[in-house]
Amino acid sequence: MKLFDVKLLTITCEILAQKNVLDILGKYNVSGYTLYEVEGDGSKGIRGQGFKNDKNVKIEVLLHQDKVEQIAEEIARTLFSDYAIILYVTDVNVLRPEKFS
Amino acid sequence: MDIVALIQANILTPVVLFFILGIVAARIKSDLRIPEAISEFLPIYLLAAIGLHGGLEMRKTGFESMLVPLLVAVALSILMTLYHYQILHRLGKFNIFDSYALASTYGAVGAVTFSVGLSFLKSQGIESEGYIAAILATLEPIAFILAIFLTNMAVSKQMRTKKEPFVKNDLDKPVSGEEFGIALEQSKTKLLTVLRESITGKAIIILLGSIFIGYVIGEHGFAPIKIVFEDMFIAGIVIFLIEMGIIAGQRLDDIKKGGAFLIGFALAVPTINGLIGVLIATYLELSVGGAVMYGLLFASASFIAAPAVLRHTIPQAKPSLYITSALGITFPYIIIILLPVMLMVSTALHNMDAINLMGIFDQVLQ
Repeated sequence: MKLFDVKLLTITCEILAQKNVLDILGKYNVSGYTLYEVEGDGSKGIRGQGFKNDKNVKIEVLLHQDKVEQIAEEIARTLFSDYAIILYVTDVNVLRPEKFS
Repeated sequence: MDIVALIQANILTPVVLFFILGIVAARIKSDLRIPEAISEFLPIYLLAAIGLHGGLEMRKTGFESMLVPLLVAVALSILMTLYHYQILHRLGKFNIFDSYALASTYGAVGAVTFSVGLSFLKSQGIESEGYIAAILATLEPIAFILAIFLTNMAVSKQMRTKKEPFVKNDLDKPVSGEEFGIALEQSKTKLLTVLRESITGKAIIILLGSIFIGYVIGEHGFAPIKIVFEDMFIAGIVIFLIEMGIIAGQRLDDIKKGGAFLIGFALAVPTINGLIGVLIATYLELSVGGAVMYGLLFASASFIAAPAVLRHTIPQAKPSLYITSALGITFPYIIIILLPVMLMVSTALHNMDAINLMGIFDQVLQ
């Protein structure tokens, strides 16, 4: 079976930054993403207990190299200073690279 | 009844006791939690109950009497937000963003506080005008619109004074006129989106919808659902306040970070605003209970709806400041102390009015 290289962009952020992240993804015509609610601890303290607005979400997007850099750059530029947010990129292999753009 | 006795009696109500239980549970690190689905459901339930009650009352009293109190409330809410900002920014030395965020948190109405107020009056056997629920619904988007407007002012102010991009991470690049224009355009689109989102938001929709439904169905239509939306109202608040107590308890440590000024602000401003509200409502000839609820509109700070809006419109402001002060300081203060105080003041003012009126009546007779 042939495997193709793509990038997995993972963004963990406070739920109130979710819309901003999705707007950026939409701006770059990302074909799809997976999102789930998570809890965690970090520089902003334990998050995810209490109000729904205090929760975190984790957003996963599979993308090709060039787009990942643009998107990560825009998220870093517009959201890093004001929101609880982390972002990382990993190499993953997929069977159908044409599905992820 | 004197004020201390009234406060003591108020503490020994299920609403306040369960709130305190929540705080204690959080402080001793108990694993007590209200299931998430229920604590998300209860605000919707409370707003529906408030709306239905308001709609039913408005069916009896009509709309005419609400116009003046409504317009005055809108004007007051705007004025208060503006003076909060001046106090916070000039005296409290908070930065622009934190000042705007706090100012609008305290300018906004707290729906939970409003429910507690209704249950407080209910336990005292005092009625209030139903149309105050409609004022609550009107003030809710007003506070948001104001928050958005103030943010926009903050944005353009910052751009104009510093000639720097709004986004701090962008400092290495100089701003061109074009980028400046784009940024302004973006903040305008943001304004419209948030405006639309707050008006179509769940709080407004359920509140206005319930007022309408209550108005249409009348007492007869209300009878079959009365058990849930009226008889269980206080029980619903009690369950919700356990959760509020837990969240407030978890945030108590943050209060110290806000500093003494913020604590003073979170106690003094609701007191002043609430008493101004009671005074004006009495002047506008609202009933004893109505004046308390009217004052409560201005005393309360929003800690569920406002933070969600503010996080988008003023992301630079620290949410720990405004959520903690609204929920950790102002809310307990209002439900334990300020409500009985406002009731006392309202009763006194109304009695004074009655005496004055009787005096005039006597003079006319003589």
